[in-house]
Amino acid sequence: MKTIIYTCPYVPAEWIAAHGLQPSRVIPDAAEARGPLGRVEGLCPYVQGFINEAITNKQAGGVVITTVCDQMRRAFDILVRTCDVPAFLMNVPNTWQSLSVQKLYIDELKRLGRFLIGLGGKSPLDDTLTEIMLKYDTARKSILAAGGYLPAGKYAETIAAFGKDGPGEEFSNIKNRELRIKGVPLAIVGGPLMRRDFDIFDIAEQAGGRIVLNAAETGERGMCAPFDRRRLRDGPLMELANAYFGGIQDASRRPNSELYKWLKRKLIDREVRGIIFHRYVWCDMWHAELRRLKDWTDLPVLDIDTTGDNETRRHRTANQIRAFLEMLQ
Amino acid sequence: MSDKPRRITLEEWDLRYEQLQRAGICRPPAVAIGARPNYGGPLSRHVADGGQRLLKLRYDNSAAALRLWNFLLTEEDRLHDARAKGKKLVGTMKDLGTVPVMAYSFDNVVAFYPDGAWWIPCVMELSAGLLSIADSLGIDESFCPVRAMLGAFVTGAHFPVPDMLICSVGATCDDFSAIAQRLNNLGHPILWWEIPHRRKPDPNEAAVNLPGGFSAPKCQVEFVKSELERVKTALEETAGEQLDEDKLSAGIKEANQARRYLAELRHLAFTAEVCPLPALEMLIVEMLAIHFCSDRRETIEVLKELLGEVKARVQAGVGILDAGAAKIFWVNPVADLQVMNLLEDCGGRICGTEYLFTHALDAIPQDLPPLEALARMALADPMVGSSTDRAERICADIRRLGSEAVLISRIPGASHCALEGEVIGEIVREKFNIPVLEIEVPPVTDSMRPTVRTRLEALVETVKARRKR
Repeated sequence: MKTIIYTCPYVPAEWIAAHGLQPSRVIPDAAEARGPLGRVEGLCPYVQGFINEAITNKQAGGVVITTVCDQMRRAFDILVRTCDVPAFLMNVPNTWQSLSVQKLYIDELKRLGRFLIGLGGKSPLDDTLTEIMLKYDTARKSILAAGGYLPAGKYAETIAAFGKDGPGEEFSNIKNRELRIKGVPLAIVGGPLMRRDFDIFDIAEQAGGRIVLNAAETGERGMCAPFDRRRLRDGPLMELANAYFGGIQDASRRPNSELYKWLKRKLIDREVRGIIFHRYVWCDMWHAELRRLKDWTDLPVLDIDTTGDNETRRHRTANQIRAFLEMLQ
Repeated sequence: MSDKPRRITLEEWDLRYEQLQRAGICRPPAVAIGARPNYGGPLSRHVADGGQRLLKLRYDNSAAALRLWNFLLTEEDRLHDARAKGKKLVGTMKDLGTVPVMAYSFDNVVAFYPDGAWWIPCVMELSAGLLSIADSLGIDESFCPVRAMLGAFVTGAHFPVPDMLICSVGATCDDFSAIAQRLNNLGHPILWWEIPHRRKPDPNEAAVNLPGGFSAPKCQVEFVKSELERVKTALEETAGEQLDEDKLSAGIKEANQARRYLAELRHLAFTAEVCPLPALEMLIVEMLAIHFCSDRRETIEVLKELLGEVKARVQAGVGILDAGAAKIFWVNPVADLQVMNLLEDCGGRICGTEYLFTHALDAIPQDLPPLEALARMALADPMVGSSTDRAERICADIRRLGSEAVLISRIPGASHCALEGEVIGEIVREKFNIPVLEIEVPPVTDSMRPTVRTRLEALVETVKARRKR
């Protein structure tokens, strides 16, 4: 079975799986200047890491990129020129209120379907899509329920594993496997995290904190809304679009007021006492939100900007988080 | 034609202004020309408004160029005047030319381009403090200099706060989208409209030809048309005036008049044996096409007069540079206007440009329903498509104009500049085997001027050395 790689949360894994292909959400390890792309001035490290990953990934039978951010949109231009793996650029609108943009998203899913069929996929029947969606939904609910029990690092790894491999046995009843961990409740807010930056969760725990809200794009914020079972049976593709396009809140949305509504709910629910704002240098979308977030919340906000590529960065981040937690304890 | 063409300083312009006035060629400020307002006067008066950079620029010495500069530098007054007369001011952001065509089709609307504030730090040599204000709002130097717009909204000192703000998003640069969102959070409501990434039509998919030679799927044109319909409805509410097809068609016709003059001007400026008009004035002229500098009629008149001057110079075989100047195709606008002077000081001339808004230069189809024509124009935006498309258009122009090198001017912090330069450079080299140079131009280049100069000189020398092979 061909593997289709992607990283944007607005790409529904269920849609790829329903075409008989293996969806795999890639989280780059790091932004290595030694990678095929080399060092590019002004390029977001996450985009750089993704391009390198897409070029070197031996399993990929296709790659899906979206237009959610400008640099990723332009990464498509690089990929089609430098690598043989078939690539698809999916238009994901930034505006979200009108029916016409919702229709555009659905049309783009249909176009993605034709791309997948071109790679050997099968046109999905509604029943097949429904069955797959239910399977994913059950696994997602199980993972989200476990979030309150797992160490934050393991929780992030579990979400990443689900994105990479899809639902499996390992995601059933995981909530009882670990005990609740104590510590100052923190949220991490920002764009996606690269693998190497997952160490933030351990650093926070070692310093006496606990990340109870993973609002990074690679965390629970990047997971679609639960499916409405009745609507799902009436029209699975429409419900898929509702849950992804309507359910994932991001800084790139215009306006992005829904992101703050989502955050407000979650921060109160989880009794968060401090926010770690994580961003990669040259990520304008999230960088621009930092000051607004500080103005918007009464909680202390720690800004961590990284290039995602070296040990010095790790030490600096660790020191920042320790100092932040000393203040909060 | 005004005397021997040459580039002169601001001081020289004041002396020349007096001569022209005595000769009856220029009128003093505030003397209307028939029913038209007169923006004339000596150029140096704009320095008193804080335009320190003006003291360091070199200008074309024609009366037509004086009219151009005076027109450009009086926009703020014009906007205040329009408001005082009860007109609605609409800030059209990011689309670089589409919505203004619609806005100027209303009787009661003046559109302007708040993004244009990105030149204020240059013109005022950072003295306006706009970038510091942007810093204080969390938009630091890692963003494109267009962040100056935030400061301009906060101070209210460079343009009146508009009655309505419209901004395109989707296939746009992240910097501007993020800055506009920040502006929105500061209490400025924005009407967002979606422009999707232009893609190639799939096989068997209905396709539409766009101005400028691109094509797009019909469904994308229909989508953009529906977005523009939404913009039109909002404008009608603000203006208190209906915009029917006839009015919009008339607006498109007027815009095309400006574009026709501009096309002829560009062709002559880029292909004449001796360069007839400096790069700096040509850059300003192209920018007029985006929003008509808040007066569409005067834009057309300015372009017409400049075209007359350029035609006369070409016919006489005279210009502002040596015939042997290296022919450079310039990609992206510069944040520091002085760099356009510098290219000519180094022995280069502009022979082709792609300043991010070629869609504002191409003729808008007049044989289509007007909203569809505007939708096609919006989708022809070079920044809405791939870097490869953009490079292909640049290549087509290089072939047509005979450019000998390409200069890609990076905009500091701009999201599109990290990757597009490599793609454009590769494609140009593959097709033409001509030199490609990438430089970064901040709003004020003084501290790095020797470096920029050295690089430009090297490019010019390379071009000239290749001629001898």
